[in-house]
Amino acid sequence: MTKFTTRKTYRPYVSPLDPCPPIKEKVYSTPAQLYLGFQPENLPQFTAKEALYAGTLWKLLYDPYYGPMEKGRDDE
Amino acid sequence: MTDKPVPKDFYAMMEELQAVDFVLVELTLYLDTHPDDYQAIQQFNEYSHARQTLKVQFEQKFGPLLQFGNSYSGYPWNWKDTPWPWQI
Repeated sequence: MTKFTTRKTYRPYVSPLDPCPPIKEKVYSTPAQLYLGFQPENLPQFTAKEALYAGTLWKLLYDPYYGPMEKGRDDE
Repeated sequence: MTDKPVPKDFYAMMEELQAVDFVLVELTLYLDTHPDDYQAIQQFNEYSHARQTLKVQFEQKFGPLLQFGNSYSGYPWNWKDTPWPWQI
């Protein structure tokens, strides 16, 4: 089974008249908060320092949207 | 505004203070919508206590953080000595 990832893809329609090289597969990020609804209690948390750099206190809500070319894509 | 560089541990203590502040901001926003989450309130009080002790330590070394009575002042009036937040 492939590794869980928050990325989802779709394949846009490519017109034969399109002058530019088409992008066959588009990637978009669907972080946990889209499906979370009301945040439950006692979710696992980062430490203070990690939270400062992660941008959120709760691990579940951590959603670093790196570009396809950027390094540091730990959730890929 | 002095131009001499700040001592080394200024940045370490400032980062720690910022980390605690960030946790407090997150918990405040969380508790606004979860008023009866006992664990989060306990954590909030722990961190606010930690923040107060950190503030005292920081100010003894580097001068007041806040003004208008929120921080003690050294002698002479020195709240303008440490670099401004956008300069650190």
